[in-house]
Amino acid sequence: MYVIIVGCGRVGSELARLLSGEGHNVVVIDRNQNSFDRLGGTFNGLTLVGNGFDLKLLKQAGIEKADAFCAVTNGDNTNLISAQVAKKIFKTPKVIARVYDPQRAHIYAALGLDIISGTVLFASMLRDKIIETRFSSYLIEARDLGVLEIEVKNSLINKTIQDINVAQELLVVAIRRLDKTIIPEPETVLKPQDVLMAVVKVDSLKKIKERFNL
Amino acid sequence: MYIVIVGAGKVGYFLAKRLADSKHTVSIIDKDRVVCEEIAKQIEALVINGDGCDPHILEEAGVARADVVAAVTGEDEDNLIICQLAKEKFHLGRTVGRVNNPDNEHTFFELGVDVPIDSTKIIAKIIEEEVSFSDFVNLMSFKRGKLSIVRVDLPKDSPIINKQVHEIHLPQDSVLVSIVRGEEVIVPKGNTVLMPGDDIIALTLVGNETQLLDLLVGKL
Repeated sequence: MYVIIVGCGRVGSELARLLSGEGHNVVVIDRNQNSFDRLGGTFNGLTLVGNGFDLKLLKQAGIEKADAFCAVTNGDNTNLISAQVAKKIFKTPKVIARVYDPQRAHIYAALGLDIISGTVLFASMLRDKIIETRFSSYLIEARDLGVLEIEVKNSLINKTIQDINVAQELLVVAIRRLDKTIIPEPETVLKPQDVLMAVVKVDSLKKIKERFNL
Repeated sequence: MYIVIVGAGKVGYFLAKRLADSKHTVSIIDKDRVVCEEIAKQIEALVINGDGCDPHILEEAGVARADVVAAVTGEDEDNLIICQLAKEKFHLGRTVGRVNNPDNEHTFFELGVDVPIDSTKIIAKIIEEEVSFSDFVNLMSFKRGKLSIVRVDLPKDSPIINKQVHEIHLPQDSVLVSIVRGEEVIVPKGNTVLMPGDDIIALTLVGNETQLLDLLVGKL
């Protein structure tokens, strides 16, 4: 893949190294030449100094043949404008912007931009760690769905997946058994120490937890 | 009219003052507290200290019931976002955005700003005209700078002196609007004869300005 990354901070440089290490073509744009120091010696992609929504610079970066564009500077507005330029003017197939402000993230996501808000993600992650046990609401973008971990013990042993699932409320999607992960069938029988990964409706969480004594 | 101005630099300040003086309702947003306090003392307007890119602040400034939002900060990306938020979140019909870097003008159009004003280009153009020795003055531009009204002083050695208007082959999409001769204003007709010192006012596509100049004053 040919990927353009705008912003060479911690996230941008890490992403650039990751993709470049996997053999993708990466171009990184940053306003500050010194930011490229973060890329380290092994990075073999292209670096360009300038503004992430400068049309001339983007053309120079090869945006017309890019498969993906990612705006991860520390400025929400810069990211939002760069992403829209890539999407609307250059028709880049895959465009992602990082936005800190939850409100702007929400508004622009509703307008059809692919937004990742670290703030929203991180806050809900912390919230889950503090308030919940075994439950993560941040793994799935829809706000009304989360992932619940259920350890198999006592009465759950020897039950099948179809005994566990609750229509419209809970669905087991994976089982961690020893070091393997199994995608279960309805007839799969549970063994002691299995850990079930289930998607659960947030509204049903309390009821489900009571049912499994969590 | 109710106008929300974001950015209280020189442009924002004078715009707010002019609009308030002509009895429009104005609210003005700026990040700088000191600037806001100063403006509140001088202008009859609602002054809000905050980031105009924050939807809460825009709401507080009454964007939802405003007729126009003018985003005139020094940052193009901020001006773009402000105009977009005003349109998408508050459903405003008319947004005016200041373009600081002329390279971004196209982006303003593409991203839906109704009226991008390229302040840098406008000022640079005026200064360029003042410092150049050309007898060619751009009086006004329309249609996003595609069409302009220009004024040309006909020099003595102009190739069209003593010719009648119908003998001149004007470039495509150019038309002579009037001739100012001393105190007299002449509407040119086919048989009007051009004289040295005539001030020609012409309407032309910007792309044809050079051809028109070549025709009126001769090749430089």
